[in-house]
Amino acid sequence: MKKQLDLLVNGDHYHLLVDPHVTLLHVLRNNIGLTGTKEGCGAGECGACTVLADGDPVNSCLMLAVQAEGKEIITIEGLAANGQLNPVQEAFVSHGAIQCGYCTPGMIMMAKSILDQNPDPSEDEIRSRLIGNLCRCTGYEKIVQAVRSLARPAEGRYQHE
Amino acid sequence: MSDFKVVGKPQPFVDARQKATGDAVYTTDIHLPGMLYGKILRSPIPHGRILNIDTSRALRLPGVKKVITARDTPMLCYGITHEDWHLLAPDKVRFVGEEIAAVAAVDLDTAEEALDLIKMEFEELPAVYDPEEAMQPGAPLINDAPGNIAHVFEVERGNVEEAFGDSYLVLEEKYYTSQVYQSYLEPMAAVAKPESDGRISFYLPIQIPSKCRVTYAKALDMPIDSLRIIQPHIGGGFGAKMETPLHPIAALLAKLTGKPVSLANTREEDFMGGNPRLPMNIQLKMGFTREGLITAKKVRIVAANGGRVCYGVPILGTACFRVDSMYRFQNIKAEGYLVYTNTLPTGCFRGFGNSQMVFALESMMDQAAHQLGIDPAEMRHANAVHSGYVSVHGWQVKSAALDECVGKATDAAGWKKKRAEKIFGKGIGLACTNHVSGYSAFFPPFHGSSAMLRLELNGKVSVTSGEVELGQGQKTAFSQIAAEVLGLTVEDVRMTPVDSDLSTFSLGAWASRTTTVGGKAVYLAAADLRSKIMAYASMLLEVEEDQLFMAGGKVIQDGCPDKGIALADLASRYLYQHNGSFIYGFGEFNPGTQVPDAEKYGNPSCAYPFAAHIAEVEVDTETGQVQVVSYHAAHDLGRTINPLGASGQIEGGVAMGVGWALMEDLFYDHGRVANAGFLDYRVPGPKDLPEIKSIFVESNDPYGPFGAKGLGEPALNPVAAAISNAIYDAVGIRLRELPFTPEKVLTELKKSKK
Repeated sequence: MKKQLDLLVNGDHYHLLVDPHVTLLHVLRNNIGLTGTKEGCGAGECGACTVLADGDPVNSCLMLAVQAEGKEIITIEGLAANGQLNPVQEAFVSHGAIQCGYCTPGMIMMAKSILDQNPDPSEDEIRSRLIGNLCRCTGYEKIVQAVRSLARPAEGRYQHE
Repeated sequence: MSDFKVVGKPQPFVDARQKATGDAVYTTDIHLPGMLYGKILRSPIPHGRILNIDTSRALRLPGVKKVITARDTPMLCYGITHEDWHLLAPDKVRFVGEEIAAVAAVDLDTAEEALDLIKMEFEELPAVYDPEEAMQPGAPLINDAPGNIAHVFEVERGNVEEAFGDSYLVLEEKYYTSQVYQSYLEPMAAVAKPESDGRISFYLPIQIPSKCRVTYAKALDMPIDSLRIIQPHIGGGFGAKMETPLHPIAALLAKLTGKPVSLANTREEDFMGGNPRLPMNIQLKMGFTREGLITAKKVRIVAANGGRVCYGVPILGTACFRVDSMYRFQNIKAEGYLVYTNTLPTGCFRGFGNSQMVFALESMMDQAAHQLGIDPAEMRHANAVHSGYVSVHGWQVKSAALDECVGKATDAAGWKKKRAEKIFGKGIGLACTNHVSGYSAFFPPFHGSSAMLRLELNGKVSVTSGEVELGQGQKTAFSQIAAEVLGLTVEDVRMTPVDSDLSTFSLGAWASRTTTVGGKAVYLAAADLRSKIMAYASMLLEVEEDQLFMAGGKVIQDGCPDKGIALADLASRYLYQHNGSFIYGFGEFNPGTQVPDAEKYGNPSCAYPFAAHIAEVEVDTETGQVQVVSYHAAHDLGRTINPLGASGQIEGGVAMGVGWALMEDLFYDHGRVANAGFLDYRVPGPKDLPEIKSIFVESNDPYGPFGAKGLGEPALNPVAAAISNAIYDAVGIRLRELPFTPEKVLTELKKSKK
């Protein structure tokens, strides 16, 4: 029995009819056509599918689409505005934190969440918070540098959007 | 040569922006009208005869469009070096995961449900997993090869026995290198689209889009040119994304349904259907003089190939003799056996077979240094090859800065001081590597590359090459090379997508060849374009060519900055004058290499990179846990094209090496991979790695573009030995079996205390 669903993704409402067992990841990629979010394992083990739900990072392969109803979902497509990259995206590009790019959308969403929650994360904190996001290309060095470059020790709040 | 404007400058990757926004399209992001979804049914048993496959219930499931078994395939044997592949197993399965049947359905759920409805009956056969056992008389035969031996590699130079007799020190040890999985984040996938003229268009994440057509054409019994490969973005490969039956199975489903088919592995299927690293039992014997010079090396390798042969033949050969051009070996003997086993078929993994042998060799070099009372770094200095060296196998090392790599790495790491500290539990270790930049025996018909550049109407340049970006930075390096030659910026260069209908036939991303061989073709094509532009500009401006130069998107007369023509103007004037033809530049690089002859003699690569790595570890003697706390990697990469990309590649290679050394190992339960997921098969996360410091040593190779050599694989090769040697320095134990798990560390520590 399919279920009617109203999803709020990147500020847009989507009215969908989906099987109750399908994941948020599946609906984002297949029903809405937001393929920026990647599936690396489908089991919550690699973090490639990380999106933000009410500001919290979640593995969208582990969240049912019906569980996402009523939450504000932000995906990688929701970060850049008017052709302008979000500072996290910008930092990943300029620091060489992107190689094959498959972990990148999830990694950037997790990085944004880290900075949203603490404007001045230490390197150790960044590494600890990124532990659920696997990258096989970079050795994480440049990813950590990219996130660290956005830390704002003096100003308090990290400026997002 | 600091007058480069683009080469050598840190360049953010040209495709990074689209990857950062989610715009970059990977294979499974492609949705075509009418597309079906495929799934593969894999063998649940390691060895057995197929008695019956009943697909009738699956076919009756609404939404199922096709179920195929071997009888629906051309029933041809195909393969890479051995024709022991089938699209779908006809009568026998040889490993858990072998492809038996496939389904195409309207959606993935239906395709998965259909797999459950297919009934298989087998007569199970005794299985053999260990290669030494598989070679014994009476072992179950997997592919009817006597002794299950798929291939033997033998080479001998000089006289090892005599040299051992004359040696001051002779060491003999056994090493084991484990089976590890490449763990690219994007699982294997294909989208295959049948065209109305009978051709198949393929969207494939593959490292060899041109070459794979040779194999797939045979499998599908179609002409090579009827297969069109279009390259989406690739989510990493590390050697694994070569030929795989998944691709032609997708094509066959597409052909038989008349619809596009998307077929992708789940992560678990990818563990079971991929081609992990060839595990090796290495018996190594080496002789040394009292001063630490190598006198002889004898090696015997037995490698567990798995149920069918992928690239085991050149991987084994590489392990047997590639290191022979790192040190000045004169007396060597190698014998290698590639043995069929009822385990996963093994294939390319960054480093090919060299990683395995470098682990054994560099562990033994360290052991010898300690037994002789010589600084391990001095041992390397004493034995290292230098520019101009020709190995006993005829390998011509035109540029070599191994010696300098050792010097710079030891200086940067504070080697002498730290070695003198002798704090129990803390250690420092050194290991070196050599490698190739392209390898002739991999595809004997040709070894080079070609490229085509076109001056666009806006005065910018597009570069067409069939070489492949899989995250290593190929598009960026090629853009930099073209921009440097043409006096342009990287923003002025556009890489065209790889499409076999339009691109040059290129051999692809393996053997650390892309920048060196493919990049040199781009360099030559850019030079050709440049000379054509100059000739045309000379005609238009009525100025001798030698009075002209190119800069800032213009051709300008020397000394008269006002007299010149913008490339955009020149491009359109040429095009209008030539009835729509653009100005093209063509480049063809013949690396001048040889396929080694029957005696294994001949120079297989145009350039040889080198590296020296230093690992610092802390060993917890209570838990056996090893933590790498600092890492220095000095690389002779000839010339750094993009320092940002090069350091990224080194960091990634070291990370992968740390995983191989300390964490990763595929383990089997009755032939089935028991840890087919990232929860049980741990790859390094951000907390498992230290800061990795890259050091570039530029030997300026005479062949590579601007002197550049390969880097991708050498970044991984020495890591396991560097860590092993550091563990010895820390706690006095020699670990010769990968990975160095806490259990092994504790066991050896206990033994050492006795």
